[in-house]
Amino acid sequence: MDIILAQSLLEPNAGLIFYKVVVFALLLFILRRFAWKPIVSALSEREETIDTSIKKAERALEEARKTGEKNEEARRAAEESARRVMQEARAAAEQVRSEELEKTRARIRQMQEQAQAEIEREKQRALDELRDEVAGLAIQTAEHILEETLDADRQRKMVDRFIEQLPRN
Amino acid sequence: MMALHANIRYCRVILLFLAGCAFFALLISRPAYAADEGGELDAVAHTADGVYLDFAPFGTVELPRIFLRKDPWGVDVFSSTRSALLSERYEIEHEEDGHAEVLHGEALHAAIEHHEHLYVKPKPVLGTMVLDLSITRHLVFGLLAALITLAIFLTLARRYRRHEDRVSAPRGIFQNMFEGLIVYVRDEIARPCIGPKYEQFVPFLLTAFTFILFCNLMGLVPYASAATSNISVTLTLAVFSFVVGQRRGTRAYWRHMFWAPGVPLPVKCLLAPIELVSLIAKHFALALRLFANMMSGSLLILSLIGIIFTINVLFGSLIATFVAPLGIAFTLFISFIKIAVAFIHAFVFTLLSAIFFGMAVEEHHEDEAHAEEQPVLAG
Repeated sequence: MDIILAQSLLEPNAGLIFYKVVVFALLLFILRRFAWKPIVSALSEREETIDTSIKKAERALEEARKTGEKNEEARRAAEESARRVMQEARAAAEQVRSEELEKTRARIRQMQEQAQAEIEREKQRALDELRDEVAGLAIQTAEHILEETLDADRQRKMVDRFIEQLPRN
Repeated sequence: MMALHANIRYCRVILLFLAGCAFFALLISRPAYAADEGGELDAVAHTADGVYLDFAPFGTVELPRIFLRKDPWGVDVFSSTRSALLSERYEIEHEEDGHAEVLHGEALHAAIEHHEHLYVKPKPVLGTMVLDLSITRHLVFGLLAALITLAIFLTLARRYRRHEDRVSAPRGIFQNMFEGLIVYVRDEIARPCIGPKYEQFVPFLLTAFTFILFCNLMGLVPYASAATSNISVTLTLAVFSFVVGQRRGTRAYWRHMFWAPGVPLPVKCLLAPIELVSLIAKHFALALRLFANMMSGSLLILSLIGIIFTINVLFGSLIATFVAPLGIAFTLFISFIKIAVAFIHAFVFTLLSAIFFGMAVEEHHEDEAHAEEQPVLAG
């Protein structure tokens, strides 16, 4: 009996093989049709979905990055122009200020000069008047002193000469 | 993180459950075998296929017998071996002292009483047996494994009916666990081994992997046995693998096998049969590897348990009592190994099948062929 049993471990059983072929073929057919096909197709569908989602997300991220860069650039440009405008304004203001100052200074100088000239003129006029006055007084005085020894023209010439000899101031 | 923890906990529960089952089975089967006459424990009978289900100590269930006979042709169906013998249309012989003797009457009843009739091939009284189509233990458990496979994956397939479910993340341990298996077979076995044309082989690889896996795991269930520990089953699987793969063999593949390019004519004639034998041997090894591994696990466990009884007979019950825990511990250890082996050999069978498919459908490029020819011509 032992020999039979030991053989039975290695002996292929035709009946069992027959059944097994049927069972496995059926199993293969049913699983392929109703299980593997829907599952595997669903898996690849999901993989595709995930793939496209990731790609989409990457694209969106890239776009966002680009937009951010653009914004940054725009901001930088705006800042730059603002600074330039301010600088220009400051320079203009400075120029205007210095011009104004120069103008004012010039006007003051002009006014000073005018005033000086006026004073000079007035002084000259006063001196002339004074000289006339002094000449008149001297003539009167001399007339009084010298009585009518000299005619009026000679007297005037003498006084003029005298006055000429006076120091200017 | 939580999900991972939950998964690990589930795995631990399953492992513990399986280990518990194995342990419980051993505890139960021990007194049963001890109760057998003379403490006889036949590991081979237990591992081999049989026409009965052994539910020791609760009894034995005989499976239906179906015989195809000729002269006259006919199919006989009996609900059990016992009824086949008692109908007196089939008989068994008892071999003793070199001569066989057909059992009748009292002797037959005595043989049935001792379950001896289950180990002997019945012969038809009229005509000769053509094919024994009896339902066997391994067929029952193979069918059970097939039904489990169907139940699991048809249920899983329902999860992908709606479009939202097809594209959303897998939910729950059931979907995650079995989807993981499917993705593993597709991405780690089929795609790298077969190459771009892998898709057509995925259904076969998945079916083979899951069916073998559940068959193997069935070997760990008490009272059940692994259908894959039967050479007929693994041979069938290997033949399927052979047919599925070679059917798709490219022209270049067959040419390289039977008319190797760039080789002198005598060598060609020599190579062709060698290639043919190697092709068949590869697939035969596929069957033998799975069968031997699954069978050896079962034999090993039974032998370890058997040691206890052998020692009981040889050295007495005291030593046997001390040896028993050791035997049980080893058995537990082997049971754990068997869990790993169940997965490993399902994987190995699938992987090797995929590699053979890959060889069959590989495109041989022209420049490659020339590169092979060049050194030969130069030489």
